[in-house]
Amino acid sequence: MKTFLENIKVAFQSLALNKVRSFLTMLGIIIGVGAVVAMLSIGTGAQNMVLENIQDIGSNLIIIAPGEQDQDSGYEQMLGMQKQDQLKIKDVEAIKRQSELIDGAIPVILSSSIASYLGDNSKVSIYASSREAEEIYNFEIETGNFYTDSDVANSSNVAVIGQTVIEDLFGKKNPIGELIKIDGKNFTVIGTIKEMGTDQFGNDQDNMISVPITTAQNKLYGLDYINLILAKARNEQVIDSANTEITNILRKEHNLRPDESNDFTVRSQTQILDIVGNIANIFTITIAGIASISLLVGGIGIMNIMLVSVTERTREIGIRKAVGAKNKDILIQFLIESVVLSISGGIVGIAFAVIVSILINNLTVLDTSVTIFPIILALSFSSVVGLFFGIYPAMRAARLNPIDALRYE
Amino acid sequence: MSDKLINISNISKIYKLGKVDVKALRRIDLQIREGEFITVMGPSGSGKSTLMNILGCLDTPTNGKYLLEDVDISQLNDNQLAAIRNKKIGFVFQNFNLLSRSNVYRNVELPLIYSNNNLGRKKKVLEAIDSVGLTDWISHRPSELSGGQKQRVAIARALSNDPSIIFADEPTGNLDSITGEEIIAIFQKLNKQGKTILMVTHEQEIARHSQKIIYLRDGLIGKKEKIDNPIDAEDHLKKMPRIEDRVN
Ligand SMILES: Nc1ncnc2c1ncn2[C@@H]1O[C@H](COP(=O)(O)OP(=O)(O)OP(=O)(O)O)[C@@H](O)[C@H]1O
Ligand SMILES: [Mg+2]
Repeated sequence: MKTFLENIKVAFQSLALNKVRSFLTMLGIIIGVGAVVAMLSIGTGAQNMVLENIQDIGSNLIIIAPGEQDQDSGYEQMLGMQKQDQLKIKDVEAIKRQSELIDGAIPVILSSSIASYLGDNSKVSIYASSREAEEIYNFEIETGNFYTDSDVANSSNVAVIGQTVIEDLFGKKNPIGELIKIDGKNFTVIGTIKEMGTDQFGNDQDNMISVPITTAQNKLYGLDYINLILAKARNEQVIDSANTEITNILRKEHNLRPDESNDFTVRSQTQILDIVGNIANIFTITIAGIASISLLVGGIGIMNIMLVSVTERTREIGIRKAVGAKNKDILIQFLIESVVLSISGGIVGIAFAVIVSILINNLTVLDTSVTIFPIILALSFSSVVGLFFGIYPAMRAARLNPIDALRYE
Repeated sequence: MSDKLINISNISKIYKLGKVDVKALRRIDLQIREGEFITVMGPSGSGKSTLMNILGCLDTPTNGKYLLEDVDISQLNDNQLAAIRNKKIGFVFQNFNLLSRSNVYRNVELPLIYSNNNLGRKKKVLEAIDSVGLTDWISHRPSELSGGQKQRVAIARALSNDPSIIFADEPTGNLDSITGEEIIAIFQKLNKQGKTILMVTHEQEIARHSQKIIYLRDGLIGKKEKIDNPIDAEDHLKKMPRIEDRVN
């Protein structure tokens, strides 16, 4: 034990003797470990944020999107890269009428438009839906009211606006009852929505105006389809059967023959969580790839410098052997040295990652967190790298014949 | 146990240099009894260092039998040889061979680090340093010491694990005559305390401090000379002109 501590001390001494060299050798490990720990903390932060957001909208939610998607195109769908027109308002009506397992369903059109008030312009997100959106999407009304069924039936020009829109267009003024223009059309503000914060992609959810779905279709965008249907299952237990039920209703509604595939996709929160999990996995695998390459490069650097060190210190090895060091003692001494080298690199890398993570936390909306898991992982990996790449140089040192080592010039 | 601390018979060492065989030692026999102080002399290349290295278990003979305290050295593996070097042998080199990055204490402690016995380690180190008179220099590094002081550190290191025998290959070779005499004084003191010492030197003057001189020539032992009245280094030092005297 005492020899072991002695060895660690000797290792630090000889590393301190060549500070620049030791640092350059560690750089590979520092970058590798630093990148991995930082990316994992960012990844954890992003994932937590997505999950939080999804949980915010309620876990019984079922999302029906146009077009058929398998798990892999979930990405594109989420990013809105596919434009499809298979879903109509009458589908929502059919689901509401026929389904026994849901509490409600709403049509949704997501878009963006220019809103203006007395000459002030602002680009806003449009979230068009029906009266039930207030409950299903968890909109919380601050002042005024949400639009009614009759507003939807009549395609009324009424708007419920978010906090950012109020700030941009009205400042301190009370917006209720005021006339604003959306894409040049007049709308009356009938309600305001409480602050909702940012979503997982850092978008401002308060820069939003909600209008009746029919108004959006007929007066703003001239569409006969909708982007999404959101339905709320009675409870978590019936989500899967509700999925099946909705699928059957829509297949019938769309007159699909048994051999035809769905022209829509029904997904529950749990499935979306799975997708998020998949994306997170891809992310993790990518990180692991980067990590292994940089640890490999770092390890080769360590092996190289340890070989140099063994050669430089041949005489020292000879002296130690002359006074009774066994092969094992020399082996351990050099192994400890390479492990100390790589673990020091790992620790510096972690410190570096923690700083990056704190910076990101303070400068962006991402809530990053460095957890203990990647730190333990990084430390164990860097010690394994130190051991693996240190073993060959250490064995060369250990095998030296005492008299040859002493004679070395 | 026989009265022979060391008993070698028929020891040969052949270096192969390409096609040429260099016979550094040819079938040497030699016995050393406990408590002896012996000097090996001989021309350059006669095999003195080769013999010392084999006796010190730093090198292995090509042929022959080597008994150290009745243990057959030629039968031992690397680990067992390391243990012998650690516990039975102290080696002093011409060029000191100290660890340049470690201070006096650490250098002297080195053999004890590699022996399993941790008991009284500090005391042993301090005693060894004291016996060569370097107590005031304990935390200095070799680069801050004179040649004579370095050789004292090397002797202290050879002593610290209390070996059966000390081998010294030209211990005064890099030192001036007074400093060399001081080193020999230390050896004589150790010998009086019972240590067995085998030393190589080129100087008759130095050799005459020991009890016996063995002459090597072309890898063979020539005559052996018994010294009836070895020079006492302490006395001799008193008679030697001081440096100050010579300067004036
Ligand atoms: N490693 C080696 N490889 C080949 N030949 C060697 C080696 N070591 C010593 N020799 C040869 O063995 C012979 C004896 O060498 P050794 O060093 O024992 O002489 P020495 O008596 O110590 O000489 P010196 O007084 O110069 O130190 C010499 O001829 C030398 O060239
Ligand atoms: Mg020699």
